[in-house]
Amino acid sequence: MTMEDLRFPNWITLAMGVTLVAMPWILPSLTLASEILVLATGALSCTLLLGSVGLLSFGQGLYFGLGAYVSAILIRDFAVGAMAATLAASVAGCLVAALAGLLIVRRQGVYFVMLTLAFAQMGFFLALAFPKLTGGENGFGNVTRTTVAFEQLPLSNPLLLYGFLALLCFGAFAFVQRIIASPFGSVLNAIRHNDSRAEALGYDVRRFKLAAITIAGGIAALSGAMNTLLLSFVPLSAIDVESSERLLIASLIGGVGSPLGAFIGAAVLSAMSDFLSPIWPRWSTIVAVLLIVTVLFLRDGLLGLGRILRRRPKDALNG
Amino acid sequence: MSAQVLTFGALNGVGIGMIYFILSVGLTMIFGLMQFVNFAHGAFYMVSAYAAFAVAQWTGSVLPALLISPLLAAIFALVSERVLLQRTYNLPHESQILITFALAILAQESMTMIFGTLGKNVPVPEVFSGVVILGGFVYPSYRLFVVGVAAAVAVSMWVAIERTRFGAVVRAAAENPEMVGLLGFDSRKVFMAAFAFGGALAGLAGALAAPLRGVEPLMGREALAIAFVVVILGGLGSFSGALLAALLIGITQSLMSMIWPGGAHLMIYGVMTVILAFRPAGLMGRA
Amino acid sequence: MADPLLIARGLGVRFGSFQAISDLDLSVSLGALHSVIGPNGAGKTTLFNALSGTRRPTQGEIRFRGLPITNVPACRRVHLGLSRSFQLTNIFRDLSVAENISLALQAVAGREAWAFWRARDPSRVSRDRAAELAQTVGLASRFEARAGDLSHGAQRALEIAMALSSDPKLLFLDEPLAGMGLDDVHRTKLLIRRLAPERTVVLIEHNMSVVLDISDTITVLAQGRKIAEGSPQQIRSNAEVKNAYLGSAA
Repeated sequence: MTMEDLRFPNWITLAMGVTLVAMPWILPSLTLASEILVLATGALSCTLLLGSVGLLSFGQGLYFGLGAYVSAILIRDFAVGAMAATLAASVAGCLVAALAGLLIVRRQGVYFVMLTLAFAQMGFFLALAFPKLTGGENGFGNVTRTTVAFEQLPLSNPLLLYGFLALLCFGAFAFVQRIIASPFGSVLNAIRHNDSRAEALGYDVRRFKLAAITIAGGIAALSGAMNTLLLSFVPLSAIDVESSERLLIASLIGGVGSPLGAFIGAAVLSAMSDFLSPIWPRWSTIVAVLLIVTVLFLRDGLLGLGRILRRRPKDALNG
Repeated sequence: MSAQVLTFGALNGVGIGMIYFILSVGLTMIFGLMQFVNFAHGAFYMVSAYAAFAVAQWTGSVLPALLISPLLAAIFALVSERVLLQRTYNLPHESQILITFALAILAQESMTMIFGTLGKNVPVPEVFSGVVILGGFVYPSYRLFVVGVAAAVAVSMWVAIERTRFGAVVRAAAENPEMVGLLGFDSRKVFMAAFAFGGALAGLAGALAAPLRGVEPLMGREALAIAFVVVILGGLGSFSGALLAALLIGITQSLMSMIWPGGAHLMIYGVMTVILAFRPAGLMGRA
Repeated sequence: MADPLLIARGLGVRFGSFQAISDLDLSVSLGALHSVIGPNGAGKTTLFNALSGTRRPTQGEIRFRGLPITNVPACRRVHLGLSRSFQLTNIFRDLSVAENISLALQAVAGREAWAFWRARDPSRVSRDRAAELAQTVGLASRFEARAGDLSHGAQRALEIAMALSSDPKLLFLDEPLAGMGLDDVHRTKLLIRRLAPERTVVLIEHNMSVVLDISDTITVLAQGRKIAEGSPQQIRSNAEVKNAYLGSAA
């Protein structure tokens, strides 16, 4: 990343804004555009953790599911407006992430990764074990489209829904960009490069990691709430391990070096899902191959490919 | 809930736990040796279980699978090492995790392509289809057989690692790969052998588990998570830790399935969370 | 006589069944340049790790300015006024010299590190101060260079600059001269000598002539125990010390 990339706002912010506005007109369906927004926001939580702090999480699906269920319950059973429900879902995500983080952050490296997977699986069984709350196997349904707030702006209008989701998505992206370009972000970056040195300089590395985990949990929960708004329904699969994997794969394929990667990966994955799954149910095979190619050859994901193609020198970087 | 029923549940749990042990010990040993966590470990288990199903279909009994499945898994492990994994040794740890993860997806999709998405049943071998009466309990013979096999594996592994020359080489390679190279052993070959063996163990677990829970494409994912819990609680690289943890969660799952069936699996993770809250380094307490 | 700045009593560090340090007493006077020497495997770096907080001692206690710090984690000790450099260069290779030093400055700039809503505040993390520190260790001309591209000697200098950034009262330097060329050694020797008595410096070094030249006090370790302590004169003529070195000469 160049010095340019680390300022906020920058060209990426602009590009994101323009793309979000243009998507409904470029893409064949509004639904696809909305799906991309949801997946992009979820993938962003993985990008923040892996790209900024160097933490690989196989468990962001836990918070995605949590956000989905919390917002669904609030909207359907408590007649809460979409804005408030989304906010509540994000807060819930932060809280649970902070709690889980307290346990997870004590372990390093590979243990950390394994724990995230274990917690993801736990989330799935939690949802299954309390069907009265979550609807169990059948999912949580009848979350009829509500209004944004104070009974204004009904989300039953698909374009309005897209606009609301786009706002949330952009908000999350701008927030992550802001964090990365701040002193806090520079510490996360230092931790990713050399956490023992960061510790020796006087940074409480565990606390910073916990903060990152908490923020990422909130963002994943936000995307879960967005998913509920889109589907009017929470399937059990929102909280299964595959949900975690989908978010992670989207961020990896796009490239974790920048928030933009989360969006690109989400766009590619959503498009593939929409176009391929009716033709070939086992299209995940292609995703797996793409992942292997990314890990072995395209270290910065598709973003990195773009960089190579445009022949931008990679080491114009500075602190 | 009488003592008798509880004891039965516990014994049942030992059977489950032993399978979890065989499943996990390969993972933990490979990490202890190669500093590498194989996210395709569950896939080895799943592929072997499907192989057991296929064997049962063709030969009428699943017993030959107890030899065939581990062999298949070992071959699978060696091939994936040659084709994919060896390219990742110079890359950061995350890369190895992600490649094996991708491999797991490929394996799952392949099995689904061949066998379909629905679960399949694998009949218990004829010779073990009965029950054994143990001091007032009626215990399914197959489960007893599983416990026996697992115990035999555990003992022979312990003997192999602690008492044989090969085991000594393996332990030395874990501590100091270069030195072992200087002594004339190819540490890469040692690692490959260990990796294949770890895969074979997962394969054995898959073949043993197939008659108990059937086979379906998602079983690999579930198995991976359980292996992780065992390894997190028992400590990576610890043989006795894996045994203890596996038995603990096996018994927990079994007892829970009698009290609150919906929460049986959940409890495994609940126990993990509680233990980690008080002993962050796991059961064996290695800091 | 003033109280020592740092006292370690009965210090012991054990790894499994291996006792790296046993029953070590150390007393560092304020403003001293105190060197710790000894043959390889004597436990010098382990001692540093215990004193700087990277490794918790298994026995004994450590006091800094009278306060017990035995179990205080390394990141907290920096804020108390201790700082260290590493034997194996431990810098942020992919970041510039400027950013390396700025990160060190940022760590002790109050709550600056937690500001996530704005860019870095130059009044709290001063680029001028970073440049000054780079100048002190001779890296002014390489300020914007990528740390990983520096020569070995320059990287060692960066280590020292980063350790100095927190304005420490007590500075641990772990083999700062390791692998340096003659010019660098000379310049760094003068730099270290100038640090005391304004700061207190504890130094691990193998370069005997430098140690004997600049130290106020020398402590000699062998096999995890203290075998001698005193002025350079005293150490130079100590038979046990000679034994320890010659006995383990490879």
